[in-house]
Amino acid sequence: MKINKEEIAYIAKLAKLSFTEDELLKFTKEFEDIINHFANIDKENLDDIDINSFENFESVLRKDEVKVFKDKKELFRNAKSMRETYVEIPKIIE
Amino acid sequence: MKIHKMTIEEIKQGLEDKKITAEELVGTYINRIKKLDGKVGAFLTLQEEEALNAAQKIDEKIQKGLDIGPLGGVPVAIKDNICMKGVKTTCASKMLEDFIPPYDATVIEKLKDAGAVIIGKVNMDEFAMGSSTENSYFKKTKNPWDLSKVPGGSSGGSAASVAAGFTPIALGSDTGGSIRQPAAFCGTVGLKPTYGLVSRYGLIAFGSSLDQIGPITKTVKDCAVGLLAIQGHDPMDSTSVQHEVEKDYLDEIEKGVKGFKIGVPKEFFMEGLDKEIGRAIRKSMERLEGMGAEVEEFSLPIEDSGLSAYYIISSAEASSNLARYDGVRYGYRSKDFDDFEELIVKTRTEGFGNEVKRRIMLGTYVLSSGYYDAYYKKAMKYRKKIQKSYREAFEKYDLILGPTSPILPFTVGEKINNPLEMYLADIYTVNVNLAGLPAISMPCGFSNTKLPIGLQLIGDHFTEKKLLRAAYALEQELGVCNEVPSLGEEE
Repeated sequence: MKINKEEIAYIAKLAKLSFTEDELLKFTKEFEDIINHFANIDKENLDDIDINSFENFESVLRKDEVKVFKDKKELFRNAKSMRETYVEIPKIIE
Repeated sequence: MKIHKMTIEEIKQGLEDKKITAEELVGTYINRIKKLDGKVGAFLTLQEEEALNAAQKIDEKIQKGLDIGPLGGVPVAIKDNICMKGVKTTCASKMLEDFIPPYDATVIEKLKDAGAVIIGKVNMDEFAMGSSTENSYFKKTKNPWDLSKVPGGSSGGSAASVAAGFTPIALGSDTGGSIRQPAAFCGTVGLKPTYGLVSRYGLIAFGSSLDQIGPITKTVKDCAVGLLAIQGHDPMDSTSVQHEVEKDYLDEIEKGVKGFKIGVPKEFFMEGLDKEIGRAIRKSMERLEGMGAEVEEFSLPIEDSGLSAYYIISSAEASSNLARYDGVRYGYRSKDFDDFEELIVKTRTEGFGNEVKRRIMLGTYVLSSGYYDAYYKKAMKYRKKIQKSYREAFEKYDLILGPTSPILPFTVGEKINNPLEMYLADIYTVNVNLAGLPAISMPCGFSNTKLPIGLQLIGDHFTEKKLLRAAYALEQELGVCNEVPSLGEEE
């Protein structure tokens, strides 16, 4: 299958990544090689396999209990920008 | 006895007999790391002070005649995608360069409970994506057997640390072979446990339905000791084992392989397998037969399509798991942005390396509208077929044997510009993850150029005991584990 640069640019947009023109070209080529290799799965007969049937599977549930994380400072130490107890980000709604 | 050659068993004996203190032991390892890791490049963070303090506490316990635990005083290296409270956990990525987890992973808690002394965090491919540890943002780790070669990956730092005698045990993680392949490349023993046997709580996610933490050690017995310490149900991981687990992996480990039926997929020996590796595996098959195992070739034609299914599923899961890195609550945040969208795009573009971007792109592609049925759904179907193929195989055989990697450790830089070629080298390991099975890689010989060759044994779900027993028998028969790399040092 042929993959073009525009397609890669669209996927990048979905993945929230941006590429330079050179990177896009390089990526398109690599991508095509890899995706074409994936096509070998097409030779398999998978008609009678149902991915929505489950045997011997049990749901795992636990009580939804509130636990207080003692050290709030520890919890927020990785945030780059804080205002009081809120993580700060650029304005979303004008 | 040189400390760096000591096994966990020997360390425990040495501490028990008071021939050495835990502080001396840990100090000796740290000195060795300081002296030689400049060549190897295994460590990202060394926990010198903390490790020596922990060792002192073990010595106090020994003084008082208290139990020090199954890993009492034993130095451990941790792959840098496993969270440790208050210790930088980077995933070898710029994205998490200064990330300090506010909690311990369950395996870290368990190691501490077992008395282990955590000596530091080790290098890996960024977000565990890669087979050579060349994708680390920070540095390249070298293979201790030949410093011009890669140590394998993604747990390359873990395997190199054990091979170089920096720690007798290290933890790695395995999504498609990331424990077993570096273990093979570095001449060490690496176990990928059954999916669910070891808690993933605190393991930074790559492919959540595939990831599993496991030990890398010098010997099979040490591997058994390591597994016992970290396994078991964890309420913090709903995919962790719900039933009782094996309580002793050592009590029957010396019972041999007599009567074991071992299947060898003939597809493992087809095109692409290095001749020397093929010969070493066949020699091991003969040895196993000589010890009373029944070794038989059979057909398990799942490799090629399995590799595709693996890369589709793991990339799909990665693209979803890595969506959390947006620069908001933790991790890297771009310095320069005008609005929220730009904050996210710039953060991700600047924070992720090439291979990680490639996987996110692949995953996004196979999950995107119009391609979901063609790739992801097909891969999920094939995953079921693989599981069925293994189920049928294990009705006939106790274990499945083959090579861990089709190729010998390659030269640093050799494959970095050809991602597909790098992916193809994972052909013998990825299907095990798709089926959630346990598998162990152990050294079975050396190439003419003195590079280690790894043999892989695959077991049915939760049959680690059998797996370790067979691996131990073969290890004793081959005697390969007694060799260590010289690193240019006098013996």
